[in-house]
Amino acid sequence: MNIKSIFDYRLLGLTGSILLIISQFFSWFSGYSLMERYIIATSVDISNAFLYLFPLISGSICLIATLLIYFKLEYRINSVIVNFVGFGFFLIFIFELIPQEIDYITSAGIGFYMSIAGAILIFFHNLNILLTREKSKEGS
Amino acid sequence: MESNFYYALGHDLRRRIIKIIGDNEFSSFTALKKELKVSTGTIYHHLDALSQLIEQGKDKKYYLTELGQHAYDSLQDNIESIISPDFSKKEFNSPILKSLMFLTPKKIINYEKGYKIYTVIFSISLLILGLIFCYLNDLFPILLFFTNLFQSFHTTNLSLEIFFNVFFIINFLLYYFINEIICRLVYKKSENSIKFFLSFSLTFYPTIIYLAIRYLFNELYLLDYSVISILDNILMIIFQVWALWLLTFNLIVNKHLKVENALIISLIIHYGGFSIILALSI
Repeated sequence: MNIKSIFDYRLLGLTGSILLIISQFFSWFSGYSLMERYIIATSVDISNAFLYLFPLISGSICLIATLLIYFKLEYRINSVIVNFVGFGFFLIFIFELIPQEIDYITSAGIGFYMSIAGAILIFFHNLNILLTREKSKEGS
Repeated sequence: MESNFYYALGHDLRRRIIKIIGDNEFSSFTALKKELKVSTGTIYHHLDALSQLIEQGKDKKYYLTELGQHAYDSLQDNIESIISPDFSKKEFNSPILKSLMFLTPKKIINYEKGYKIYTVIFSISLLILGLIFCYLNDLFPILLFFTNLFQSFHTTNLSLEIFFNVFFIINFLLYYFINEIICRLVYKKSENSIKFFLSFSLTFYPTIIYLAIRYLFNELYLLDYSVISILDNILMIIFQVWALWLLTFNLIVNKHLKVENALIISLIIHYGGFSIILALSI
């Protein structure tokens, strides 16, 4: 069986963004999920609390970007740009969080690994879109 | 004969067939199909149209005729300009890209003769503004990212302080050379280097607006508010994406890269920059 016939490259982006979204609800560091940390942080320091929602926001934006290609393949460049925006949220989150939690990185929970896997999938999804030739050029 | 020649060059797929055969001296049908990724019928249709430019040998492989070789030589110099004759004047269907280009001085990136001086003045002004706003915000630039990781050096070491203060310009040069090297090494695009350099600081145009807004927030002590702090992060992301789009546009018009290739360069360098900044913060 030809793998290309059953594997749609857009699944990379879809899987990546879903992984990012659900990582929000699994444990990251110290056994807490990001959603739990968000709830705790809102009662202590609201200014940093929103940061814990960034993977969820990032995943949602990337999901919209991926669905954009499902809707119309011509929107692939737009999709990459929207993915840039979505991915930006995740980068900021990682940049703020990793230096704080670097000592506990070896004991990170499943949520952390899911988000990293999701981010890598989205990155490759973007590359794949840009490297794949547009089918509309095929016509004679 | 002449009409056949121009007819052959008039279609992207036919140009690609000539280029594949010319690059490899010959090509089999299977190799063409693998390279072009189109249906068998489409390839036969175009091979038929190219009957005077290519011929099939006894070994069933396709070779260029004398006219085909002439077409191949013409394409070698002009293929990109044929494929995307004037991207800078292209209207984008997307409302996102349209609005990004509406807010951008497109004519300064793709300047015409006689307007070079305006581009130079605008570029130098942007670099000076970037330098000033980085200093005022106490931020250190790494490609399109800004960090305050090196704040401690400012008060201890004079030479480092000078280095950090002019780093916006060093960062600009670094970013330019990385782009230029990738264009030359990966895509073999060495044209318009000076034009690309002169308009390259336009890439930083959105980030300078971001720095100005951040400075305003800082001066008014608005960054202490959670909403403004979040807004600051969101603004940074949006202005970075705008800057990346400007870089992509610059690569397309000055280096004649396809939009996909230009975006790949922007994407790789941007995430490379992030990796550096993350490693430094750890």
